[in-house]
Amino acid sequence: MKLIPLLTVAVIFITGCTTPPVSYYYGSYSRTLYRSKKDNTPESIAKHRQTLEDIIQTSEKRSLKVPPGIYCEYAYLLTKEGIADADRYFSKEVSTYPESERFVSFVRAQFKQQSQ
Amino acid sequence: MKFPVFAFVALSCLLGGCASPVLVTKAQKFPRMYEEKPVTIFVLPPINSTTAVDAKEYYSTAIPQPLAFAGFYVLPIELTSELLKSQGLYDTELLINQPVNRFGEYFGADAVLFTHIKKWDKSYAVLAAALTVTIDAKLKSTRSNEVLWEYSGTIVADLSGQSSTGNPLVDLLANAIITGIKTAASDYVPYAELATTQLLQTVPFGKYHVRAAQDGQDKLVDQKPEKQPTQQTTNTPPPSAATGT
Repeated sequence: MKLIPLLTVAVIFITGCTTPPVSYYYGSYSRTLYRSKKDNTPESIAKHRQTLEDIIQTSEKRSLKVPPGIYCEYAYLLTKEGIADADRYFSKEVSTYPESERFVSFVRAQFKQQSQ
Repeated sequence: MKFPVFAFVALSCLLGGCASPVLVTKAQKFPRMYEEKPVTIFVLPPINSTTAVDAKEYYSTAIPQPLAFAGFYVLPIELTSELLKSQGLYDTELLINQPVNRFGEYFGADAVLFTHIKKWDKSYAVLAAALTVTIDAKLKSTRSNEVLWEYSGTIVADLSGQSSTGNPLVDLLANAIITGIKTAASDYVPYAELATTQLLQTVPFGKYHVRAAQDGQDKLVDQKPEKQPTQQTTNTPPPSAATGT
């Protein structure tokens, strides 16, 4: 009961509530993201990076699609830390979600500009 | 479980003025969503008009997950918010009346999500603590600049985590203690997420949802019913009365 808060909403969903939604594994994504944004300390950022690694590994293990943006966010963190392997994850984002291509090339170009 | 029922009644009265709410289907209310079929969503930082300073951050991190579960491709907010900051555009208020085409041109977004935190109230009582969250949300097309979907949702979350022991006195003490502890170290992200999830029940699902394009007949409460022609005719005086003489 603790985590099922009382909820009352301006929404009536007559149908659609029994169908299973898209399945993604998100681990503790929103919590660690919040902490890393709020505290912005090396520890909280490292914790969020662990969450991203956990999401990628667990999803791949369970043959689930890695959720939107996760590869890209991970690649971004690695790039900021100067890890060369980062580019591989940008490519994975695009191969998993082709619609991300324009965004990912924009981000890659930004990084190239910065490193020049 | 008296409280939930009471709250539900109170809320539905608030929303519908105790009249029966008008139900519409998703397809009737948001036809443009079915025409444009947006997939890639650029989430803008929430607009916060409450006094809760943390609300903006709490709420922004609570958007991507429910939005992805509703079938959309969500651009990573960690990156998009940095991009906006670097452009001096972190305050979404500046963008609200601007065309959003550029989000399509530069980032490949089909639509932009505006969210507005209207209420973020913690209320304390001896026996309970509750969090009320009200969010207005709006999806705007980067192609047509039209609003494709908009809705407002409220949740009331019970923060006291009550569980009954069967002994009223023990419960009373335990609840008072639990309330004290939990509100001190509460983490509101799950509640914010719940608010988003509820709100997104009304959005026509994106292409990664199993029911994408099949949810047109799902019903929702019409929050802004258009004036119904039947009502107008009853309100209009009959021609004979109007002519007077």
